[in-house]
Amino acid sequence: MSKRILVVEDQEDLRGVLRTLLTGSGYEMLEAADGQAGVEKATAERPDLILMDIQMPLLDGYEATRQIKADAELAATPIIAISSFAMKGDEEKARSAGCDHYVTKPYSPMQLLRVIRGFLDDKL
Amino acid sequence: MGVTMPSSMSTEDRDQDHVRLVERLKHELAEALEFQTATSKVLEIISRSPTNAQPVFDMIAESAARLCAAKYCFAYRFDGQLLHFVAHHGATAEVVEMNRRNYPAPPGRGHVTPRAILERRVVQVPDVSADTAYALGAMAAAAGYRSAAAVPILRDGMPIGAIAVTRAQTGLLPERQIQLLKTFADQAAIAIENARLFEEVQARNGELRVALEQQTATSEVLSVISRSKFNLQPVLDAIARGAARLCGGVMGGVFRYDGKLMHVGAMVNFAPGGEETWRGLYPRPATADTATGRAILQKTVVTVADVEQDRREEWAREVARTGGYRSAMAAPMLREGVAIGAVLIARTEPSSFAAADVDLLKTFADQAVIAIENTRLFEEVQARTRELTEALVRQTASAEILRVISSSPTDTQPVFDKIMESAVRLCDARYALVYRLEGEMLQLVAHHNFSPKALEPFRRTFPHRLSESGTLGAQAMIRREIIVIDDIECDSGVSEAVRELARSAGYRSVIVVPMMRDGLPLGSIALTRSAEGGGPEPFSRQQIKLLEMFAEHVGIAIENTQLFEEVQRRTRELQEALEYQTATGEVLNVISRSPSQLQPVLDTIVATASRLCEADYAVVFRLKDDGIYHVAAANNAEAAFVKHAAEHPVPPGRGSLVGRTALEGRTVHLPDCLTDPDFTYFDYQSIGNYRSMLGVPLLRDGTPTGVIAMLRRVVKPFTDKQIELVTTFADQAVIAIESTRLFEEVEARNRDLTALGEVGRAVSATLDLNVVLKTIIDRAVDLSGTDGGSIFYLREERGAFELGETSGLEEQVVAKFRKLDIAARETGLGEAIAKRQPLQVPDVTKRASNPLRDAALEAGLRAALIVPLISSEEPLGALVLQRRQPGEFSPAVVSLMQSFADQSTIALENAQLFEEIARKSRELEIASQHKSQFVANMSHELRTPLAAILGYTELIQEGFYGALPEKSMDALTRIRSNGKHLLGLINTVLDIAKIESGQFSLNLAEYALASVVETVRAATESLAETKKLALKTEVSKSLPIGFGDEQRLTQVLLNLVGNAIKFTDTGEVRITASTENGHFAVSVADTGPGIPADQLTRVFDQFHQVDNSNTKKKGGTGLGLAIAKQIVEMHGGRVWVESEVGQGATFQMQLPVRAESRKPLQ
Repeated sequence: MSKRILVVEDQEDLRGVLRTLLTGSGYEMLEAADGQAGVEKATAERPDLILMDIQMPLLDGYEATRQIKADAELAATPIIAISSFAMKGDEEKARSAGCDHYVTKPYSPMQLLRVIRGFLDDKL
Repeated sequence: MGVTMPSSMSTEDRDQDHVRLVERLKHELAEALEFQTATSKVLEIISRSPTNAQPVFDMIAESAARLCAAKYCFAYRFDGQLLHFVAHHGATAEVVEMNRRNYPAPPGRGHVTPRAILERRVVQVPDVSADTAYALGAMAAAAGYRSAAAVPILRDGMPIGAIAVTRAQTGLLPERQIQLLKTFADQAAIAIENARLFEEVQARNGELRVALEQQTATSEVLSVISRSKFNLQPVLDAIARGAARLCGGVMGGVFRYDGKLMHVGAMVNFAPGGEETWRGLYPRPATADTATGRAILQKTVVTVADVEQDRREEWAREVARTGGYRSAMAAPMLREGVAIGAVLIARTEPSSFAAADVDLLKTFADQAVIAIENTRLFEEVQARTRELTEALVRQTASAEILRVISSSPTDTQPVFDKIMESAVRLCDARYALVYRLEGEMLQLVAHHNFSPKALEPFRRTFPHRLSESGTLGAQAMIRREIIVIDDIECDSGVSEAVRELARSAGYRSVIVVPMMRDGLPLGSIALTRSAEGGGPEPFSRQQIKLLEMFAEHVGIAIENTQLFEEVQRRTRELQEALEYQTATGEVLNVISRSPSQLQPVLDTIVATASRLCEADYAVVFRLKDDGIYHVAAANNAEAAFVKHAAEHPVPPGRGSLVGRTALEGRTVHLPDCLTDPDFTYFDYQSIGNYRSMLGVPLLRDGTPTGVIAMLRRVVKPFTDKQIELVTTFADQAVIAIESTRLFEEVEARNRDLTALGEVGRAVSATLDLNVVLKTIIDRAVDLSGTDGGSIFYLREERGAFELGETSGLEEQVVAKFRKLDIAARETGLGEAIAKRQPLQVPDVTKRASNPLRDAALEAGLRAALIVPLISSEEPLGALVLQRRQPGEFSPAVVSLMQSFADQSTIALENAQLFEEIARKSRELEIASQHKSQFVANMSHELRTPLAAILGYTELIQEGFYGALPEKSMDALTRIRSNGKHLLGLINTVLDIAKIESGQFSLNLAEYALASVVETVRAATESLAETKKLALKTEVSKSLPIGFGDEQRLTQVLLNLVGNAIKFTDTGEVRITASTENGHFAVSVADTGPGIPADQLTRVFDQFHQVDNSNTKKKGGTGLGLAIAKQIVEMHGGRVWVESEVGQGATFQMQLPVRAESRKPLQ
């Protein structure tokens, strides 16, 4: 059974890139278009890894990460923050919110794939 | 926040001026004191050595040389013909010897001293080498002086000496020192004059002593002679008896003949009745009717044989009968052929006379002549002896008098007493009187033998004006001759009043002798007497002469006394001058000792002035701001008077001494205030109980600022000298006041500055406006010594004032003020603001009613000072001082309040500025937040599509969408490359935005420089390859581990290498890394076109591009190097470029191995 990765991203185009990358790489991709939906989806689906966009409507990635990590059952689920912020402190904020890794946009899909594989310990 | 103090620079300047002025005053005081001390010392020596001028000259030479900073000082005497060198100081023995050879010398032009004598004025030779008439060039060279000055010593305008000083430098002697030398010259003149007077008195005393000795010697001889006695009568009797017995006569007689009459010399053996009859007939002329008469006339012996028978004897017959004789013989007594008498013998019987008898009688006659001659001679001797005795007595008397004169040269009274005693004794007078002229008045100065009752009429008559009464004492003086009155009752030249005076004292005869000196009458001496029984008893010529002599003696005595008095007066004057000098010196001392304290000076002045001017007390009044004179110091005054004076200050006006002195600005002298027509201060007078008054104004620049009042309880006018002295004290008081005022001003200014400083600190220490204004108003009330103060704000929007901070006011008053509705226009606040200057309200009762004024009045506040607070023409409010006492505030307070108002305005402005800054800061913060948000948003907005573009491109290339033709793959590569370039541009913009917002910071961690170089080489290798450039690296093997932001340093090196590759078309790019002096040294060298010298530093500026056309060709934002420089400098390192056009460029970095994070340089 393939591992499931939840992508919380409000931009459809970026979800499309990740969908191609992840499904083309053997993962099942769950999607949420905002933070609130992301938290609900994570609670309901319990994915193996979460890719979390930071800047989103309704609930931003920091808060969503906090809420997800506050759930004891999800606390161990790796969350990789994907931020378009490159200002000082952004990475610290992400990490203090509970993110396990931090990637800035634009990212190289192949490099991101290597990071994901590192977290999921997949030697594909 | 900086606070500048208004016009603080000029205030400091003023203070420094004051300090300088005070310093100068101090210096002048010290110098004046030194001069005073020197002149005092000279005066002291004059008074100590009145008979000798030499010590005075020595002292003057020493003082002058010292005080004039002279090379030396010489002093000279001038005798009218020649100059004599008398004293020196400071010159070498050689120079003194040279000068001794030059003098005595007549006045001339060859040197300053003879020139000063010739011209009778101060002579200065500012440069001896430039003075052609100067003849002492050799001496000047030897003594080493270059300028000289001489001051003549003048007496009654005539030169009697000179003081000369020489100095090593050229130029004129300062005026102060010339004045000092003149003072010394005056003192030398006094010393010379004193010595001369003493010499004169000494000479006179010497003459008196010689006269006395001679008289004493002759007196002894004269006294022996005067004691001898000789009596003719027994001789004549013996001759008469002898002749009668020896010549056979019974009776004998001797008759003397004086040339006209015959006198009975002696008669023996005549009948008792006959002798009497005979004696009664004599003296009678020598006639031929008697034998004696014939003998005298014929100068031969005459014989009468019988009187009864002789016709020649008819007249004598009866006489002969009564005498009892009949015959007689007479022989003449002949001396040198002249008959001086005859010797007679007579017999009771008629008889003839034998020749022997005739011869014998002749012999007796000769003996009688001898006896008479002897007697005459003896009498002559005796008369001479008497005369001599008289002269001796006179001389003894005059010797006694002279002795008295010489033993009491300073007092005429013992002389008068002695003279009168001698005169009365020697002239056998009863009374003696001495009169003396004192000014216009003739005084009775001595009398002798008068009983009090007898003296009484004289006491009533004298003194009288010389011209107004006809007393004999006065007449003798007016007529300048001796008056001799034998009998006052019979003298027609005597007035009835004089006669009455004589009667009351009981005398008839008078002589009065005037006492003259230099042809002028000094007085007169009178002797009077009357015979026993009250008749006249005229004085003899000798007695008159004696009295004349006495008068002469008295003249000498008086002259002597006057000379002595003059010397004494001079000595007194000197002592006085010394005392005055000492006193003024004392005051100067006090001034210089306590320049900041006036009271000790004023106390010293009143104490010294009242002592020296013999005032009962002295008071100093000073003008205060109210225009009235208040007591400032008093000496010896009773407490009640001081209290009254303190409670009743004196306004200018003619009614009081102080007021009049102040009004007229000059010395006012009231010899007796009770007789002064304008004097009205009787309440003062009755408490002070004074009569003679002296007021001397304290003038500063001609304007009175105070008065020294000298008061005497008796009517005794002040002398010119005393007035002059008080004037000196007044001058000193003014100096003291001025000096103190300056000190006070400086201190007050310091106090004000301190207060302003406090306020300034309060203004800068706190931004709490209320605290600042409270400090200001507290300090203002404190310093101005007023009762209360407040700050009112103008609320223009409401057109009204509102009470702010207050100080010193009671709570209910403050509460009342707060409730007031103070319209902007109607109060003093509005007026002060409208006028833009401080407003004095000396008395609020004089102002129209308004709510603020009424409330102030109700609170008992009578005077106010309102200072507007105006910030760049914008009225903010007013600072108000309030006082219970009505009256104006002093200019000092107004000026201080103006400063406080300025501070208040600054505080208010500061508060406004602060509010504005706070508001702006808040706005900026918001704007900054907006900007950050914007940058974040832009980053997001740009990166999201770019992420999609690059993401899909990569996925396509990676084959997620299946295989594509080679051409498509190439296009995808270009899409990706351009996308990454765009990303680089975005990152650069983002970095710049971060730098600008101060958010750019380093992520410090350990790193290996070698791996940084390797990363950059790997990233740029393909690019270099594309351009066919050699990319070389030279990295030291032993590089230490660095500490810094690896990612940012990589970015820098990437930028440098990227640029090098970009601008180099052929050749190579070389990267080197090593350590130098604890720093990493990294360089990137290329073989590109190079950079012009003027561009070498500017390449690191933001947006700078070396050559726009070239850059356009090469691309780039021009921001990369600016960011690189920023990063290097944040590591504490530096980056620079070395290049020449056509020789390539080498960018070099020097980085601390271990960086410390530091703020970027904005």
